[in-house]
Amino acid sequence: MSNEVKQVAAAPAAGPDPLEAPFPSKRMVVNLGPSHPAMHGVVRVVAELDGETITDAKLDIGFLHRGFEKSCENVTWTQCFPYTDRLNYVSSIMNNVGFALAVEKLCKLDIPARAKYLRVVGSEMHRMCDHFTLVGAMGLELGAMTVLIYAMEARDHLWDRLTELCGARLTSSYCRIGGVARDVPEGWVEKSRRTLDRVVEIREEIDQLITRNRIFMDRTRHTGVVTREDAIELGFTGPCLRASGEPYDVRKAAPYLVYDRLEFDVPVGNNGDNFDRYLVRMEELRQCDRILRQCFDQMEPGDIAVKDFRYVLPPKPQVYGTIEGLMAHFKLIMEGIKVPAGEAYSYTEAANGELGFYVVSDGGGRPYKLGLRPPGWPMLAALPHMVKGSLLADLIPTFDTINMIGGETEQ
Amino acid sequence: MAEETKPSAPAAAPPKPAGPPPGPPPPKNPGMVTCTIDGREVVAKPGTSVIEAAKAVGVEIPYYCYHKRLSIAANCRMCLVEMSNAPGGKLMPACQIPVAEGVAVKTDTPKVKDQQRATLEFLLLNHPVDCSICDQAGECKLQDYYMKFDRQPSRLDIPKVEKGKRVELGPTVTLDEERCILCTRCVRFMREVAKAPQLGVAMRGNHSYITTFPGQPLDSKYAGNVVDICPVGALTSTDFRFRGRVWFMSAARSVCTGCSRGCNTFLDYMRDTTYRYRPRENEAVNQEWMCDAGRVSYKYLNHPRALKARLGRGAAGQPAARPAAVAEAVAALRGHAEQGVLAVLLSPLASLEDLLAAAVVAKEGLHLRAVYAGGRPDGWQDDFLKRSDENPNRKGLEIVARELGLEVKPFAELARAAASGGVKAVWAVGAEVPDAAAVATLARLESLVVQAVNEGGLAAAATVLLPAAPHSEADGTFVNFEGRAQRFELAYWPRGDALPHWALAAAIGQGLGLLYRWPTARQLFEDLGKRLGAALGDFRWDSLPSVARRQGLVPIAAGTVDGRLPGYRERVPEDVDKDLRSALARIT
Repeated sequence: MSNEVKQVAAAPAAGPDPLEAPFPSKRMVVNLGPSHPAMHGVVRVVAELDGETITDAKLDIGFLHRGFEKSCENVTWTQCFPYTDRLNYVSSIMNNVGFALAVEKLCKLDIPARAKYLRVVGSEMHRMCDHFTLVGAMGLELGAMTVLIYAMEARDHLWDRLTELCGARLTSSYCRIGGVARDVPEGWVEKSRRTLDRVVEIREEIDQLITRNRIFMDRTRHTGVVTREDAIELGFTGPCLRASGEPYDVRKAAPYLVYDRLEFDVPVGNNGDNFDRYLVRMEELRQCDRILRQCFDQMEPGDIAVKDFRYVLPPKPQVYGTIEGLMAHFKLIMEGIKVPAGEAYSYTEAANGELGFYVVSDGGGRPYKLGLRPPGWPMLAALPHMVKGSLLADLIPTFDTINMIGGETEQ
Repeated sequence: MAEETKPSAPAAAPPKPAGPPPGPPPPKNPGMVTCTIDGREVVAKPGTSVIEAAKAVGVEIPYYCYHKRLSIAANCRMCLVEMSNAPGGKLMPACQIPVAEGVAVKTDTPKVKDQQRATLEFLLLNHPVDCSICDQAGECKLQDYYMKFDRQPSRLDIPKVEKGKRVELGPTVTLDEERCILCTRCVRFMREVAKAPQLGVAMRGNHSYITTFPGQPLDSKYAGNVVDICPVGALTSTDFRFRGRVWFMSAARSVCTGCSRGCNTFLDYMRDTTYRYRPRENEAVNQEWMCDAGRVSYKYLNHPRALKARLGRGAAGQPAARPAAVAEAVAALRGHAEQGVLAVLLSPLASLEDLLAAAVVAKEGLHLRAVYAGGRPDGWQDDFLKRSDENPNRKGLEIVARELGLEVKPFAELARAAASGGVKAVWAVGAEVPDAAAVATLARLESLVVQAVNEGGLAAAATVLLPAAPHSEADGTFVNFEGRAQRFELAYWPRGDALPHWALAAAIGQGLGLLYRWPTARQLFEDLGKRLGAALGDFRWDSLPSVARRQGLVPIAAGTVDGRLPGYRERVPEDVDKDLRSALARIT
């Protein structure tokens, strides 16, 4: 032993002095998920670490794959709605709307104005739910448990209203081809205004809690940065794209439903970092509130669905009382809506970005082919790019702000 | 007379007439008629109706009363179209008017559409609200056309006319008068095809109804066909009524086993139960008709079935595993074959594949030179479809025996030989025997190995019973009395422990040391079919017409969801035209 020590000490010229060398670190592969609390839903990130720095990251997805597109080919057009609920399950009405618009594009259907407003109301309420979920989860994972509790309260207020509207908190199945399932209950609009008032209070409270919070800012600013060019290259849409400075919003770029009649602003970030993505969401919560209040003011009584037996079930008294209604009901239920042959792509602004439905019909009662552009997928796919070279701890807020929802990215 | 007294023509030549009025233009395609339907040019034989010509180019003209095998009534008014040669621009019935040279037919103008809507509104005025209890629901042309051509809510504000809801027209057909739209297809069918004019229309206006003459029920042997041709749910099969919803059923292409005609059928089944036969179109065999006896001949497929192998006779019978029973059968057959007291009884109800396998085993494994033919006894016969030989495959049995060099002996000889002790053991492939009294004789044999579909009869007398699968549970071929080989397809997997006769025969053959192994009937036919030489003409095993099967219960692919697959009572023109999926590629 002593000889060896002597030898080492005696040969300093052979290499750097081992005592001076940096602590020799071994590359370590860390497995995050698939069942990790910070990996919302189930996704696995395999990170290669050099110390605390991520040198490489790989994504392992598919734990929530359900064969959404294929499943839709086996059911009638109307029966696809419950499947779309399970895409982004935090904001299911927006998925319903996207799918309905695609089919209506093929059918060349123009739905009544009230149905359009109701779709926007449902969508924007669900957008708020989605953003509250993100903000709450982000707070939680960065150590601010209170924020989650507050955000859940706001979300539950909204969900209560949505439950009254469509009968379910998450799986709304609110739209139908040609309209919506049901009109608002009596006094619902007034109740919703009061709900929004309370939600505003909660939002401001959250804002005060974390937007200027030193820890929160340190964890989120200059982490997970995506430049505007990169964001466009990577196919970002929605809040993540806007946070990088590109003011693209489908509601403005190609207004659908009644968005052209509503006034709202599109918040845009500067740095494309996690903090900007958070700020964009907070601002969008304010814009949703504006949109909703405008809808409540503008909505007028009227039909909530087209009156055409080809697309919409006849009213029940006609089904039980007349052969015409019964036949229409029978054919629509048993064989489905006969959507004219052709293909269509509908693109709507969902909570995470552009939600695209590509539908092909062969004229039958079921989709011949259905393709989905899940808004969250490009951001998730870019996650390795975003976290490479950053600290392991930055992975968490970055994963938060891209808002990966397993239901939609993995279909 | 007066003309004769007329002065003769003046001397001066009369001014030459301006020539005959311009005649019709010379036909564009000599010998054929060329016209346009919705802008598409159609070349048809003279005399073709507009409906048929339109079908040929994939234009659907709706109709109820028209039927290509019946006379034209033109009373439903659903097929009215615009034709350029119609007097006064009236709408013309496309079923009645033949195509004419140069005529332009239009089937989708607002006038035609309005007429179709109005016709449907009238047809539905007195139609009861019955879909939920109607056997026709799901294959009803009122439902189809309503969704295609009407789609308006009811405007009726007075009570509907009430008529008889369950009128038993005869032993096989029950009529719901309220659902009837009086297209008179059934009346014409009975008069023109069944040659038994037993149906007629009574009363007038919206009180009219289809009826029989007093005291004369609808008892024709072909009455069941009126149920098939009825476009609505008025005429229902008393046998099938209320037994199952058609959209849950799948259909397999099959052949009726009621007689040696071999009418082509659709076998409608749900899980492992057969619900009904419907005639399948085959111009050479049964056109699209079937007799009532054939329609109910599916029942033996369901009950009472032998589903478990059994060893021992009568009270001593014990259920056994199939391999054990086969081993027992092999031992019994080998012993008696060596003594020369074994006979093989083949049933002409078994398929060609079954008989091939059994005959090969009898010849090569048991070294027999003759087989006995069993089968059902003869029944009634007429000059339309029904044959007196009520076995679907007697011709097949004869062909197999002839080509393999086996003598076919009648069943009576077997009964005599069994009684006299010349035969002490029988291997029966199929338990049907023409002489029920002879079963008692066979029941005294030392060994009776029976492959049976049904319990009772010879199966009850068996010392070794092997459960066999009927034609609903196997792929195979029947050869009808004309020598026409016709394929049928497996509808559902064999029930219980049953296996097709050929599989059981192969197992026995293996026990006897033969080396035949056939995984499927198709491979069996590839292997043994060669031995039949040219006996089957140009028959190919994969010769079932390539139509998709209608699938129930399981999810079906898009494009076939409307259930309007082959087997449908009347082909809709879409499938005549082209594959929708390839058409889709052109649209996009």
